[in-house]
Amino acid sequence: MEKMVACTPKIEIFSQKDTVILKPQGSWMAKTAKEIEPLCADIFQKAFPKHLIFDLVNLQDFDTTGVWLLKRTFQMLKEKGYRLNLQNESDTFQALFSRLDVYKPSYQEIYKPHFFLGKWLVELGRISISLVFLIRDLIIFLGQVTVGMVFTFLHPTHVRFTSIVAHVERFGVNAIPIISLMSISLGLVLAYQGEEQLRRFGAEIYTINLVSISIVREVGILITAILVAGRTGSSITAQIGIMKINQEVDALNTLGLNPMEVLIIPRVLALIIVMPLLAFISDLAGLLGGGIMIVFSLDVSPQLYIHRVGEAVTMGGFWVGILKAPLFGAIIGIVSCFEGMRVTGTAESVGRCTTRSVVEGIFFVTIADALLSIFFSQIGI
Amino acid sequence: MGTPKPIISIRDLVTQFGTQSVHENLNLDIFQGEIFGIVGGSGSGKSVLMGTILGLVPIKKGVITVLGKKVGSLEKIMKLHLQSHWGVLFQGGALFSSLTVGENIQIPMKELDAIPKELACEMAFIKLKMVGLEEGDFYKYPSELSGGMVKRAALARALAVDPEILFLDEPTAGLDPISAAAFDDLILTLRENLNLTVVMITHDLDSIKRLCNRLAVLVDKHAIVGTLKALLNNNHPWIHEYFHGIRGKTALADLME
Ligand SMILES: Nc1ncnc2c1ncn2[C@@H]1O[C@H](COP(=O)(O)OP(=O)(O)O)[C@@H](O)[C@H]1O
Ligand SMILES: [Mg+2]
Repeated sequence: MEKMVACTPKIEIFSQKDTVILKPQGSWMAKTAKEIEPLCADIFQKAFPKHLIFDLVNLQDFDTTGVWLLKRTFQMLKEKGYRLNLQNESDTFQALFSRLDVYKPSYQEIYKPHFFLGKWLVELGRISISLVFLIRDLIIFLGQVTVGMVFTFLHPTHVRFTSIVAHVERFGVNAIPIISLMSISLGLVLAYQGEEQLRRFGAEIYTINLVSISIVREVGILITAILVAGRTGSSITAQIGIMKINQEVDALNTLGLNPMEVLIIPRVLALIIVMPLLAFISDLAGLLGGGIMIVFSLDVSPQLYIHRVGEAVTMGGFWVGILKAPLFGAIIGIVSCFEGMRVTGTAESVGRCTTRSVVEGIFFVTIADALLSIFFSQIGI
Repeated sequence: MGTPKPIISIRDLVTQFGTQSVHENLNLDIFQGEIFGIVGGSGSGKSVLMGTILGLVPIKKGVITVLGKKVGSLEKIMKLHLQSHWGVLFQGGALFSSLTVGENIQIPMKELDAIPKELACEMAFIKLKMVGLEEGDFYKYPSELSGGMVKRAALARALAVDPEILFLDEPTAGLDPISAAAFDDLILTLRENLNLTVVMITHDLDSIKRLCNRLAVLVDKHAIVGTLKALLNNNHPWIHEYFHGIRGKTALADLME
């Protein structure tokens, strides 16, 4: 075996009386497999006598792939009733060649059918069933978290304060800049659009009511929930998911630490604590954004703006917004922990569960918000 | 084979993570066709050394040449197409978790882009059996395999296109003694049949005794290189403890005296 210069593989053919000598040449290697295959296929096209001799004297390089190609050709020729001989093969070749008897694949295993015809129907069924199971599992998980929470409150020594505080910082404090920024710009947009429409009725001063009420009741908390679901929900899912893959969750279990108590409840509690605070900040930032737009375009003094906001926003309206926050926090926390615990084995499943965590988080928050809106308007707040 | 030529050579290698230096002026030559062992305490920089040879860990100073080509950054390696010349078995297996074992083994073949699809599938089956797995494992995902099976599957992937150099990071760690011995057999036959050069990080004294032509011991951020016989007489305290400690004595009894 000299330098690894790939030479084009060839088969030279010499005919004798009732035998044919085939002399493979060049490198028979993985790199040249594409060129070797047609050469082997060619042999079957030709009308050879029933005795073939393969003379390997000119074979330059070979590796497992090359030897396997020869071996495969051999087998197929044998099945067709040819008599075959090898000549001038090197020891290495011989060793590999006979070794491949042991290693050769069984064809029924390679080509065993893996999908059958009703693939689509089966897939549909699978998805439906998995959806039902998803809902069932989510309800079970909800129950487990509730039991865990009650247990934790009955045994306050089991509350992991350090963990909760750390999470409050990561989920809450670190999210303040982005949430403020988003809320300010939303306030600006709401004020700008509202003012343009209301001006037609000469009622532009009511932009203040429009902006302040919608932000305090709905927009502030919703944008907070969406941001938290995207920012914190995804990170919770990915983190717990990787911990599951690394068997860290199993390790916790065997160490007598309940993952529910160590991983899930601190996160859910932290979100429940953090969400009202973030919603409040979001309210303030939204009002600030709206105020900036209104002060500049309506020629209203800041004092007047604040005064009008105070008149427009009732205490009830404020609490409607803030009271939704812990609920949304719990939804996001539970959904993202649930999805994190559903991660199995693969890196791909981390990705899938993280996506689902965000989508489901926002979905359930929106549903809850709609239901609560109806509820609050029914009881007249 | 003629006179052996260095297939990998390392000159004055310095590697650092932040301020912590892992290797200082490390020199090493690995020759064609040998099985070269790398030993050293945990955290002595064995995996990092392999990483530098593979171009995965940045080099602070020094020169590494593999197959006559200088190893620099990963991009350079990409351009030099060294990957089709080496196969790597990482310490943790590093199988792609979203692909089946069979697909994992076929990845290097697909990269090479010279093997027709069906043939690649057959070759993957052959490699699978070569490393002692069963055909049924072809369709399993890495998360469904045991630790030893992951190692075997990863070895099959490393061997997929018959590399010239095989890097093994603790291949037998975590295997039962029978599997470990079978693994050693496998490496020996592969080396004979495929003219492989094997670079092997290992703690397994039995493997070292059976397989390794030469060894490098990583101590004090340097490499001390020699045959097992020569190293047995080295009086560096760590090396002495390594080979003449209780385990060393039992495993290497027949080599001493
Ligand atoms: N990515 C990294 N960042 C910082 N330090 C590292 C990194 N990888 C390894 N190290 C350090 O380099 C040293 C050698 O590690 P390693 O080569 O993995 O040890 P081993 O010899 O057990 O394989 C260790 O001290 C480790 O902490
Ligand atoms: Mg290591």
